[in-house]
Amino acid sequence: MRQLLFIARKEIKVALREKLVVSLGIVTLLLLGVALYAGYVSYQQQKEIITETQAEKRKEWLNQGDKHPHIAAHYGTFIFKPKTVLSLFDFGLDAYTGTSVYLEAHYQHGFMFRPAQDHTSMIRFGELSAALVLQVLAPLLIIFLAFGAFTRERESGTLKLLMSQGISFRLLTWGKIVAYSIMLAIVLLPIVVGIFILSFSGIRQEVIPDIAFRAVLLVLIYGVYLFLFISFSVWISLRSATGRNALLTLLTGWMFFAVLMPKTVTNFSESLYSLPSMREFKARIQEDKVNGLDGKTPRSVRRARLEKEYLEKYQVDSVEQLPFNFEGVSMQAGEEHGNKVYDHHLHKLREIFHQQNRLRSIASLFNPFLAVQHLSMALSGTDMYTFIHFEKAVEHYRRELVRKMNGDMAENSRYGEFYGYKAQRDLWQEIDDFAYQTPTAAELLQLYHLEILSLLMWTALVFVLLNYSNRKMKPLHG
Amino acid sequence: MLQAKNLTKKYGNFTALNGLNLSVEAGDIFCLLGANGAGKSTTINLFLNFIDPSEGQATIGSLDVTEYTKETKQLLSYIPENLMLYPNLSGLENLDFFCGLGGKSYTKEQLEALLKQSGLQPDFIHQRVSSYSKGMRQKVGIALAAAREASVLLLDEPTSGLDPKASNEFSELLLSMKEKGVATLMATHDLFRAKDTGTHIGIMNEGVLVEQFESADVSFQDLEKLYLKHMHN
Repeated sequence: MRQLLFIARKEIKVALREKLVVSLGIVTLLLLGVALYAGYVSYQQQKEIITETQAEKRKEWLNQGDKHPHIAAHYGTFIFKPKTVLSLFDFGLDAYTGTSVYLEAHYQHGFMFRPAQDHTSMIRFGELSAALVLQVLAPLLIIFLAFGAFTRERESGTLKLLMSQGISFRLLTWGKIVAYSIMLAIVLLPIVVGIFILSFSGIRQEVIPDIAFRAVLLVLIYGVYLFLFISFSVWISLRSATGRNALLTLLTGWMFFAVLMPKTVTNFSESLYSLPSMREFKARIQEDKVNGLDGKTPRSVRRARLEKEYLEKYQVDSVEQLPFNFEGVSMQAGEEHGNKVYDHHLHKLREIFHQQNRLRSIASLFNPFLAVQHLSMALSGTDMYTFIHFEKAVEHYRRELVRKMNGDMAENSRYGEFYGYKAQRDLWQEIDDFAYQTPTAAELLQLYHLEILSLLMWTALVFVLLNYSNRKMKPLHG
Repeated sequence: MLQAKNLTKKYGNFTALNGLNLSVEAGDIFCLLGANGAGKSTTINLFLNFIDPSEGQATIGSLDVTEYTKETKQLLSYIPENLMLYPNLSGLENLDFFCGLGGKSYTKEQLEALLKQSGLQPDFIHQRVSSYSKGMRQKVGIALAAAREASVLLLDEPTSGLDPKASNEFSELLLSMKEKGVATLMATHDLFRAKDTGTHIGIMNEGVLVEQFESADVSFQDLEKLYLKHMHN
């Protein structure tokens, strides 16, 4: 252990006296700082806008005046996707999924204000977030730090002197890994502290209840990811004859794992499981709403069936004789039919999303970058599953709102007096303000078991490779 | 202290070292002479266990170097032809690091004293090694050997490229190590240095130790004749 620390201390001392390493460390630190600050500013701005606009929309809902409940259901309201504190660290899919949605009877409107719509296609390469710096740029820093771990010793001749001191390759390898880990930890410490301060500070946390747990998991996952890069870089250096070979191998690996493969997997999953266009999706829903899911049950048939069912149930001859306003029941039935059609098509759509995600998860077994990218988004609350969870909560809220409006209409108005009846503020108040909480990290991580397995597998692999090479390696070939 | 028994190293069909038998006792300086490719460095590398022998055995203090790697390394100190140190560290920092690796701990003053004893100019002790000449680096190597209290010294053409003054200083340091009972095996091209410093001389040719004798038994002229005879053969 003492020798290991001796090696680590020497490595740090030597690295700190190399201008390139120090410069790269400072650049990485600055980029992280800028990314985190930009994320914080964006988070604060959006949080303020969302809070203010949400309050304004709530006020508008409550003060909409006396009106027929179904008109109120069409008047609708806006829901804003609350920003999670950790989204300032990893923007994830927020740029693509949109921030607000208009809720209205009969219609499931799409999310609006997707930042990706306002950007060039360059946004596909990722905005400068702290997560991006850690996922893509920190490995570059590691490569430049560690590619010469052994090749430099070999090329300069210090390896023979080192090995003549009676130390093993295993000790030397781990001494170097510990040194690079410490150096990286020093560079990354400010961001870790920053995340924890933000996570535990006065910033509202009701959206993510288990934020501390998530912050710890993020540190752990990125720790494993960066450790993997350090270990592989040292291993490549151990196996390479020259520094040039090691650097080329590592840069090629970085290019493949961090740039090419993620894009290829995304494109492949999209072409293998292609999504319908928004226009197609909406047209299919509209068609099935009109003709029924079987294509031969139009609205008139559905209404006649409903009317017959209620007349038989209440033993009356006409809907006017029913003890409630049949229009309200009919509208709710129409709403439920619309919901059923929407659910049917949305289920198919989500199934495609799941298939795409499953493919990406399987691909993550072969690429720790993908694994950490998925886990980072999940823990930051900016992944697809969290968005679907939010989308479901919004739809549930919309349905409750419409159900309450239709229920009030059925109970309190008479058949035929469509515009005569007017509900008042007390009905609007019965609709609670929308509140949302993300699923817990434990729930989410169950959906990412392949990504967790990937990190464990790669960690095991790097241990096996290092152990094997350390046993077989000699200072000279032969 | 240092023994080779039928030590052989083959690379495919090429035999770099063929059945070497030699013994170096405490206080001996055994100089291996020979042309490039004669097997001198291979012998040193086999004693260092940097390469595996194809046949035979190399022992240090009766311990097989392939089995007792760590133990045998603790007994020796190695100075290659061109001792390379960490250029971004000073001579003192390099010495401190390598001593630490060998499990030796010295104060800053002790390390300074060791470097001064090995002949390094005091002005350079705290300067980065990047500004050192080859001779100065070799002196750090000698200081390291002294600091490690090595009982065996393996030297692979240590004076090659040194100016006569530095070469002479190096020889004096070797003789002082000899007085302390250190067993030295030195591969060299320098006949004069071998005769002047060595207690024993061996001549190698094409992987074979063709001649070995005590240096006191031959004059420099005879040594030169003998050496050239084997080289021409």
